[in-house]
Amino acid sequence: MAEQRKTTRGSVYAADTPRRASSARRKKHKNYIPPDLEIKKGKIREKIGKWFVLMVFLTVLELAMDLSALNRLTEEELPGVVLLFGIYLAAQWVYYIVAGLVLRRRMELELAGFLLSNVSLVITASVYPDRLRTQLIAVIGGILVFAFLTWFMGNVNRVTVSRMPIGIAAVGLLALTLVLAEYNNGAKNWLYLGPLSIQPSEIVKVAFVFVGAATLDKLQNTRSIAKYVIFAMVCVGLLFLMLDFGTALIFFATFLIIAFLRSGDIKTIVLICTAALMGGIFIILYKPYVASRFSTYRHIWEYIDAGGMQQTRTIIYSLSGGLFGVGLGNGKLRHVFAATEDLVFGVVCEELGMLTAVAIMIAYVLFLVYAIRGAKYARSSFYAIAACSAAGMMLFQAMLNVFGVTDVLPFTGVTLPFISRGGSSMLCSWGLLAFLKSLDIRTYPKVMRELYQQKERI
Amino acid sequence: MNTISKRAKILYAIVAVCLAGMVFLGITFCVHGDEYASNTRNQHIYSGNVLISGGRVLDREDRVLTAVMEGRRVYNEDSVIRRSTLHVLGESGYIAGGVLEQYSAELIGYNLLTGVFTATEQGGNDVRLTLDAELCADAYRAMDGRKGAVGVYNYKTGEIVCMISTPAYDPSNKPEDIDDNEDYEGAYLNKFLYGQYVPGSTFKVITAACAVENMPDVLTRTFHCDGEYHAADGTVICNDVHGEVTFQQAFNQSCNSVFAQLADELGKEKMTATAEKLGVASSVPVNRSNTTKGSYDVSSASHADLGWSGIGQYTDLVNPCNMMTLAGAIANGGTARLPYYVDGVYSADGRLIQNETSDLTRTYMSASTASVMKNLMRTTVTDYYGEGYFPDMEMCAKTGTAEVGEEKRPHAWMIGFSQREDFPYAFAVVVENGGSGYSAAGRVASRVLSSLWDSMF
Repeated sequence: MAEQRKTTRGSVYAADTPRRASSARRKKHKNYIPPDLEIKKGKIREKIGKWFVLMVFLTVLELAMDLSALNRLTEEELPGVVLLFGIYLAAQWVYYIVAGLVLRRRMELELAGFLLSNVSLVITASVYPDRLRTQLIAVIGGILVFAFLTWFMGNVNRVTVSRMPIGIAAVGLLALTLVLAEYNNGAKNWLYLGPLSIQPSEIVKVAFVFVGAATLDKLQNTRSIAKYVIFAMVCVGLLFLMLDFGTALIFFATFLIIAFLRSGDIKTIVLICTAALMGGIFIILYKPYVASRFSTYRHIWEYIDAGGMQQTRTIIYSLSGGLFGVGLGNGKLRHVFAATEDLVFGVVCEELGMLTAVAIMIAYVLFLVYAIRGAKYARSSFYAIAACSAAGMMLFQAMLNVFGVTDVLPFTGVTLPFISRGGSSMLCSWGLLAFLKSLDIRTYPKVMRELYQQKERI
Repeated sequence: MNTISKRAKILYAIVAVCLAGMVFLGITFCVHGDEYASNTRNQHIYSGNVLISGGRVLDREDRVLTAVMEGRRVYNEDSVIRRSTLHVLGESGYIAGGVLEQYSAELIGYNLLTGVFTATEQGGNDVRLTLDAELCADAYRAMDGRKGAVGVYNYKTGEIVCMISTPAYDPSNKPEDIDDNEDYEGAYLNKFLYGQYVPGSTFKVITAACAVENMPDVLTRTFHCDGEYHAADGTVICNDVHGEVTFQQAFNQSCNSVFAQLADELGKEKMTATAEKLGVASSVPVNRSNTTKGSYDVSSASHADLGWSGIGQYTDLVNPCNMMTLAGAIANGGTARLPYYVDGVYSADGRLIQNETSDLTRTYMSASTASVMKNLMRTTVTDYYGEGYFPDMEMCAKTGTAEVGEEKRPHAWMIGFSQREDFPYAFAVVVENGGSGYSAAGRVASRVLSSLWDSMF
């Protein structure tokens, strides 16, 4: 019993198959291969039957949602919307055939992403049928970004080499935004390139996690720490100058996660937080307009038709939906400004019901739990840190959004990952999901096989 | 990787914070959900400020005071009933404290699980009142276009059967000149629950109670009235020269000299204490409303001022509902059943969902004081007014004619109650600028109570 507990602490895999290697070997090559894999004659096979069943289940669920979204559409809108829903379903099956059947990959993260994205599609279809095409392009673009990033991160060398250019590009993009962008709803965070409007801070989010995890993986000296801290502070500072406080806060929280995961130094984190708090107080003292942005916090009912308008309407209509919602198309919150972006959580509550809304929140929670639990099996600290900080970022952002529109936290106007309408946000959400995907060594059978063979030789 | 994975466990803190936030939000929704969802900004159930979803408001005879038909709020077909129940129902954004506002969540039938489904798909719930709409209409007619308030309640059960405030307008046909026309001045206030008036001589009930409790010999004393009371620093003018009078005669004839003298003799402390105990400056909970407090503040009063305060002038203010409750307390042996006008909430199929009757009581005075007060008020009717207004009712009452300024006619007041076991009703009537309490307010009270009497016997 004592022996077993000792091995369990080292590795779940080792405990499950004690006959495979001596305890000395286990110690040296622990954790490389996760459990529940079939490994036969050097070949690694995933049991893939269950993904087909889940794909069918997902399709049925999405079809039901799609059908309910057709409620109240005009006859002119109907064919276009049906076609676009069809394209999305087809795209998911194509992905499954390539990734699931041909490449024999696991699908759990993708299925979650598909379903969450479908929520954004049905809400867009129901509220703005004419913008469904753009949103669908964003989702498919997101899936492609996801696939690309997953592939890209398979090779550690590529990650190491690209971190500096990506870091510089990220800062450059933010700086460019600050120079070119005009104030839009109080923040300066949109770039308009012809017909295309992008929110660079969303794209930089992915880069921020990437550079943070990649930089720190290498560093053992103070210079590279300093470099990363400067990078992070420049990003946060630029966002502050854009008056995009919500996103600045998200970056700062992610910076803390990355810094702690790497250093394990809680004292430094406390120090940074204290410094940030003092900086925040300083800003509020000398720039009162920053504080005035949050003056309605916890007083929304007193400013019900002014500063508290969006929050009070979100609460009123979220409650109106009950557990199962009033049905797509029957809501009222959709007529309030930014309903499908910042307030989308309220639209989900009102039209799809509180159960669906809670399920979406649970999804973000499970992404983070997935990353934390998977960190043990990561092949290098880059993947562990990247996955944990990406999932942490996503959950933190979801909390800012959901609790912001419901007045639990100040309203900062950040998007809800996967659900809010908007291309940049959707690309970012899928991009962050790629970090979770790359955490799982089974995503890269070739790499895993090499590691396994290496281990066998020893 | 073990180091990182151990450190990563601290991220469970974010998960914990998130779950805590969801629980907090859930609790907020559970506690305040009905209030938030029934906000007038909710366009599932409101159009403008009008509740266009949800159930009906019924009177005690199940007359429909208001309901929703085809997405519109409609009111009773009788225009007098519409006017007389206007303030009870309230109009969101204009007349506060009405049933439609205070019971919107119940009318909607809101609950966290089904949201507004009960309201939008099943017609919501009904709220039944203890009011008799016909009696309210009679009271409205009796006011005959004058401004004021009328309330009648059963002092044994607490049920308010009549409660009106004038001026009122027709909610189905709101006058366009309402904000400019003087006739509608004050139409947005339910004066019975939320109004404040100079009490005039009805305040002598309070001064008398104070004297009875604090001067053991007051009932046997005789007083002299030569048309005014000469305080150390001024005079209080009486309405007549009453000569030698007993305490009871002074009360019956509403002699200012005697009551000013009594207030002065009793002093600020005792008068204030009694006014406090008799609920002048406190509010009465009436279902979800709290009546507006009156005031009795003699802290900087001279002797003459104190005298004036004892006859309901000076800075005295009272609320009609509070005065009705005081009359009810005397009738009920010193302890009042507090009034209420909402009986309960019923589902569309008539099932009682929520009982709103109140069994609150409040002790105003000892039983012995109440019995003396009852006798004073009874003899006022038998020996002074005569029973012409209230035949067979064994009425006990006190009128007031409250001076409200040089140029204006005084407010007419009457409060009282029937002693009969089978007619246990107390009332308060105020007619603004109505002139004499007895002739103006008395006539309104007579008409309303006779109508109630006829409906019962």
